[in-house]
Amino acid sequence: MDIGVLVKASLDGNMIRADPDGRINIENTPLLISEYDRNAVVEAARIKSEVGGKIYVYTLLTWGPTKKKKKELENVVREALALGGDEAYAVVDDRVIPCDVTSTAYILSNLIKKFGNPELILAGEASMDMLSSQMPIRLARHLGYNVVTFARKIELSDNKIRVTRDLEDKLEVVETSLPAVISVTGEINRPKLPTLLQIRKAFAKPFKVVGLDELELEDTGRKISYSDLRLITITRKNVIIEADKLEDIADILIDKLIEEGVVRV
Amino acid sequence: MKTVIYGFSTEDLLDGLGLAQRIRELSGEELETFGFIVGAEPDVDGFDVIYKMGYAPTDAISKAILENISDTDIFIGPATKNGTDIATRLSAELDYPMITEVVDVDKVDDEIILKRQIIGGRGLAYYKFVTPITLTVPRKKFQPSKLDKKPEVKEVSIPEAKIRIIEELPKEKGEVDIEAAEVVVGVGRGFKSKEDIQMAFELAKLIGGEVGCSRPIAADFHWLGEDRWIGISGKKIKGKLYFAIGVSGAPQHIMAAGDAKIIVAVNKDKNAPIFKYADYGVVADLYQFIPVLIDRLKKRRG
Ligand SMILES: Cc1cc2nc3c(=O)[nH]c(=O)nc-3n(C[C@H](O)[C@H](O)[C@H](O)COP(=O)(O)OP(=O)(O)OC[C@H]3O[C@@H](n4cnc5c(N)ncnc54)[C@H](O)[C@@H]3O)c2cc1C
Repeated sequence: MDIGVLVKASLDGNMIRADPDGRINIENTPLLISEYDRNAVVEAARIKSEVGGKIYVYTLLTWGPTKKKKKELENVVREALALGGDEAYAVVDDRVIPCDVTSTAYILSNLIKKFGNPELILAGEASMDMLSSQMPIRLARHLGYNVVTFARKIELSDNKIRVTRDLEDKLEVVETSLPAVISVTGEINRPKLPTLLQIRKAFAKPFKVVGLDELELEDTGRKISYSDLRLITITRKNVIIEADKLEDIADILIDKLIEEGVVRV
Repeated sequence: MKTVIYGFSTEDLLDGLGLAQRIRELSGEELETFGFIVGAEPDVDGFDVIYKMGYAPTDAISKAILENISDTDIFIGPATKNGTDIATRLSAELDYPMITEVVDVDKVDDEIILKRQIIGGRGLAYYKFVTPITLTVPRKKFQPSKLDKKPEVKEVSIPEAKIRIIEELPKEKGEVDIEAAEVVVGVGRGFKSKEDIQMAFELAKLIGGEVGCSRPIAADFHWLGEDRWIGISGKKIKGKLYFAIGVSGAPQHIMAAGDAKIIVAVNKDKNAPIFKYADYGVVADLYQFIPVLIDRLKKRRG
């Protein structure tokens, strides 16, 4: 059975750049594979090891400018291929940038139907940057698939799929039938960094980049777009306490905390 | 405007009502409010009608909402996992835009602006309010003013759906309230085993605090209860001191300590992002430094 995995090249939360007016400077903020999309790829690889088939990696570049960001998207795709993907398909097109979740779901559904059309599609529970958790359900609606969110465990048997959902106050075991889209939590497995050999092999795997024209799409299906993205400023003292001996560091730290009035001795 | 507020408890409905009232205040438009409560009894006024239904899979819930209420302008649900799931099903079905976890609503140049956190709390995204729309609201962000409109309560049946619940396994309820603690010692993946966390408890006891942790320590390893999980999807730290040990400083974690007066970080990697978010940093192996710190604190106390 073939499996699709959605991966997103997300803004790196620890490398956010902002303009002097506080607006996030997307162009100069690097992109990384979204943390829990790695779990989705690794889960796909686990399922493939049981049932066989191919793993398709799908992505769409949501942040621009495309010229600069395309390279970063390629690195994200290579990482997904190194973690177990077999083939990758990406949409890169100036017309969709900046892309919101409604248009991304719409465009990805067309990409998926055109290339591979797998019966099972996995995604991370939320992207690292926009965190909205809408993608799996919106995509499933376009594809006409069933959809289950926040999977901590996935079990396949025949045409059925059993999913343990990790909710705030309970685990909920549910069953649905294929074809399906499933979003996975960060706890479903523990991805390791890909090995050098895996990375090298990833470069030999098929990777196709298309635009809207190749998907024969005229409209992006966009519903709403942010009007502004602002960085929250952090003002901390950023003092690194240094001394030759750990005892001295401890003493200095204790003194500071007493001085700040946060610890009493 | 026709507003549908759904949830799993009276509190969920109140949170949604608070947001709806805020939108009405700024837009000046009257709202017709419908409640939809799942698996609980409603105990709330201020709605025209409240529908209630037994607990069911999320696809059945969204289907029931759509079957019973049409032409909705605004859906509001809780920003929980199931709340978000249902919100997205409604939005996908009707092709509505959706904004999750609205933390603030403002009026700027005659336009209503909704704000939500992005990038684990490092940023805020602003959206112009449009209708129709679906919104989710975090717990206790918007307090509703009291309304005495007594709702009519209608019971609805659970429709057929594509997902079937096989089993529910409740999670253990924790007893610690780290959100109320003045001092929290945070445990991260720098700790190698569950036993080693004893060190953090000892330090917390000495400085008068509770122990909290990063998501993997609670959700993945289960070394500590989920009530101690700090972060965007866990608890917030609001006290005087957050003392993070072996925590790398992902925004999804550390931004939840944004209200702490002082942040201390102990990490062996001098390039760990946590130092950017800290007032005082110690670059050291926690296994060497924390015992020394505990020892010095004890010595001072004599
Ligand atoms: C949508 C989403 C939601 C999330 N929600 C949350 C959330 O609510 N809360 C949360 O915590 N995370 C959350 N995360 C995960 C988050 O991104 C990080 O993966 C997580 O916080 C990392 O936990 P950590 O710092 O304990 O582990 P790591 O990132 O592995 O860091 C361990 C640190 O310990 C240091 N270390 C190792 N050994 C030692 C030693 N001997 N002495 C001193 N230091 C040592 C290392 O240098 C490293 O910096 C979320 C992620 C996403 C994508």
